[in-house]
Amino acid sequence: MSSINVKKLSFSYRPKEILLKNISFDVMPGAFLSIVGPNGAGKTTLLNLLCGLLRPQAGSITIDAALIESYSTKKLAQKVAVVRQEFVPVFDFTVTEVISMARAPYLGTFGFESKDDMKIVSEALELTETIQYARRPLAQLSGGERQRVFIARALAANSPILLLDEPTNFLDLKHQVGIYDLLKVAQLEKGKTIVTVTHDINLAAQYCDETLLLGAGGDYQYGCPKDVFSFEQIERVFGVSTFAGDVGEEKFFIPLGKFAKDRGQIKSKLDKD
Amino acid sequence: MTEILTAKKLAIKVILCLMVLVIVMGLCTSVGTQNISLKKVFTGPGDVPGANIDYEIFVVRLRRVILAALVGAALASSGVVLQAILRNPLADPYILGISSGAGLGAIIAILSGISWTFWGGSAVTAFAFAGALATVWLVWFIGHFSGKSQVTNLLLAGVVVNAFFSAVIMFLTSIAKSEQLRWTVYWLMGSIGDKEPLVLWISGVCILAGIICLFVVCYSLNVLTLGDEQARGLGINPTKTRLAAFGFAAFITAIAVSLSGLIGFIGLIVPHGVRLVFGPDHRQLLPVSAIIGAAFLVAADTLARTIFGQEQLPVGVITAIAGGPFFLILLAKYSRKVGWLK
Amino acid sequence: MLIAFICLATFVVISHYHNRDRASELNLTESVNKPTRIVCLAPNLTEILFALGLGERIVAISSDSDYPSEAANKNKVGTFWSPNTEAIIASRPDLVITLWFEQQKTVAESLKRLGYQVLTLNIEKVEELFTAIEKIGIATGCKHDADKLVKNISKQLSDLQQELSSATKVKVLWVIQIEPLRVAGRDTFINELIELCGGENAIGHTIAKYPQIGAEELLACGVEAIIQSAMGAGNITAQQQAAEMFWNRWPSLPAVKDNRIYVVQPDTILRLGPRLPQGIQLIARYLHPEIFAQTPLVAQ
Repeated sequence: MSSINVKKLSFSYRPKEILLKNISFDVMPGAFLSIVGPNGAGKTTLLNLLCGLLRPQAGSITIDAALIESYSTKKLAQKVAVVRQEFVPVFDFTVTEVISMARAPYLGTFGFESKDDMKIVSEALELTETIQYARRPLAQLSGGERQRVFIARALAANSPILLLDEPTNFLDLKHQVGIYDLLKVAQLEKGKTIVTVTHDINLAAQYCDETLLLGAGGDYQYGCPKDVFSFEQIERVFGVSTFAGDVGEEKFFIPLGKFAKDRGQIKSKLDKD
Repeated sequence: MTEILTAKKLAIKVILCLMVLVIVMGLCTSVGTQNISLKKVFTGPGDVPGANIDYEIFVVRLRRVILAALVGAALASSGVVLQAILRNPLADPYILGISSGAGLGAIIAILSGISWTFWGGSAVTAFAFAGALATVWLVWFIGHFSGKSQVTNLLLAGVVVNAFFSAVIMFLTSIAKSEQLRWTVYWLMGSIGDKEPLVLWISGVCILAGIICLFVVCYSLNVLTLGDEQARGLGINPTKTRLAAFGFAAFITAIAVSLSGLIGFIGLIVPHGVRLVFGPDHRQLLPVSAIIGAAFLVAADTLARTIFGQEQLPVGVITAIAGGPFFLILLAKYSRKVGWLK
Repeated sequence: MLIAFICLATFVVISHYHNRDRASELNLTESVNKPTRIVCLAPNLTEILFALGLGERIVAISSDSDYPSEAANKNKVGTFWSPNTEAIIASRPDLVITLWFEQQKTVAESLKRLGYQVLTLNIEKVEELFTAIEKIGIATGCKHDADKLVKNISKQLSDLQQELSSATKVKVLWVIQIEPLRVAGRDTFINELIELCGGENAIGHTIAKYPQIGAEELLACGVEAIIQSAMGAGNITAQQQAAEMFWNRWPSLPAVKDNRIYVVQPDTILRLGPRLPQGIQLIARYLHPEIFAQTPLVAQ
């Protein structure tokens, strides 16, 4: 189980515009963190900082009590697996081949996979229900199917930390929930530390232990979804009013646009509560 | 269910391909414009030069076949690697400046009238080699000014350097006298000639060593095709991998070009053909392409030197004419396998 | 589309032959006014003019005309490969003499269009040299001198043939390029030169004029003497040494065994002009040293 500690992190792409200002938070070993916020707040940037792709201008990131800069590329890859959205379909590698590339940090000089490596790959294929595409070229799959393949690859990397950038973007409802179920199982049974960037507040509230709510201009809120997600916070950060409700422990938020039916009624109901 | 390339499977494939290559080389060595009897060849060289002409012709043919195999292997391997590094299936070994650099070196050697030889190699060979490597270094240097997209910058640097050096070549040929002009044009067209055994040995060792070094990088090349960020996340250093791959590929291409001029088509087509049949895994693609490239050039050169009797066709003409339709057939036959061509 | 292709092909073929004929038939009326401002665009043409005693009437020449030494003082109008039309016009010539190949032909055409008197000659054989000299004689009003020059040259040539009549032909390979290996074929002036010098081209008929040959053909052709064109400005002695080292790769060649490898400066020897006999003499000496040992070498 691995922990991530972020201390006074600051980052900007251009000198005058500071994106992330003095952010500090600790991700406990085996925790499930979601990063939410409006577009441009810096969620993906934060993720890139957490996986070592970008270097902060100030502050530090430590993984398992060692600074992220102290890890070699290979060692870092063994600790952190990243699932992204982009896909460059240049050559027609099959799904199996793509997933087995996750074993790269563990292979010898010539890069031949062992039977154990292939077992891990098979497991990942089964877990993500992508085994039926095992022999197909990746480029032939739909966006959603590809997403699951990338998640399978992250699982095959067998790393204690999983970083995911909007993993449910192209997935249908069944698979959205399915993926989060999968991640939750990975967290609970295998003790993985998981950080997802997501637009879906409701799923985040349902599954995650901790939430980082990033607002534009660098302000942020860190805590459990119960505390962080409130009608006021969401309206302030996202600039959208929502219909907030809860069923027992589960909270949910439904965004309200100008043309929501019976908006007046909902608003008055809210005012009453 | 989850089958993947293993060392054993690869070794078997490579050995089979090598056997095919040996057969092709053997057949081509026994073909030529002069009729020689193999029985006479086996009686050995004789005590005096000229005693057994059949033997000497055989040796000269063998040298040529070996050179063609080496150049073909080098160009095909280089093509595989450059297509991977640049993430571009249309890349060939010459795309990053090697062709114009070698051409410029050769032309400078020719125009300056330097005529010394060394180890049996000529000034033209040496200058072409130096020119190729210098250009490659220049392209790499220019391509790394801006940190952002290495691949795009490399490609652009290659295009710019090629264009500039081609302009210089044009200028130099315009001020050259007619004799010198003929020299440069025919050198650039590419041909497989007779080289001294020492030259063959040295270049053979260098090219084979280069291909083996490239093989070590092959797995990283697989991962690199996913994109720089993804590769880094999987523990592969994109810059180091690209540098190593490019360096070795440029080295073996420079050797090939300095020995035989600019023979086109092999570095572009052979990797494609092999990829269509065997898939994009570079651990397999590289050795098989090297072998197929060798066989292809040996066959093409044999055609080039026998089709018109005493005189020879530039081998680049054969590779272009043969390679084109051959590739189209492959494409049609295997396009079902490849989704993204639909 | 097939019809278009056939039309295009026919057009190309016809224009090729049409132009060929035009080069040989010229308006060869004896000029009433002898031209006094002559521009000539090739080294051999310059030599012919000087040999006919017309040196003073030349106003401009191409920059590579290096013989005789008086030619150095003349104005230059571009090179053999790219004559400078403007400079030619600026010299106000009343006769321009050019060769027949593409670059000079276009210049000739444009000058003709401007109304200049242009004489275009095709000199690729000894026969054509004589015809050219005669035509120059007519165009410049020196027919008498031209005929004398022709007789002179052909006498030297026939004397040479006399001396060589009993000699056995030597198998010669004239190498014009090393990388790749290219030699002069049968359909070239070099071949004619070789035969005039008592030699025989070691390779047979080929499609290309200067074919590329392989080491295999080299070993099989039994070449007895190799003549190599020197390259550019390089030191001839250095080139000779380099050539010998190069050809030693094939020690079974008769030419290598007897060390009959000669590097020669092609510009002067292959120049089809009044000094042709000297060039032939030089090559004949190489090929048949036994016949010419006693004859003093004529100054180049």
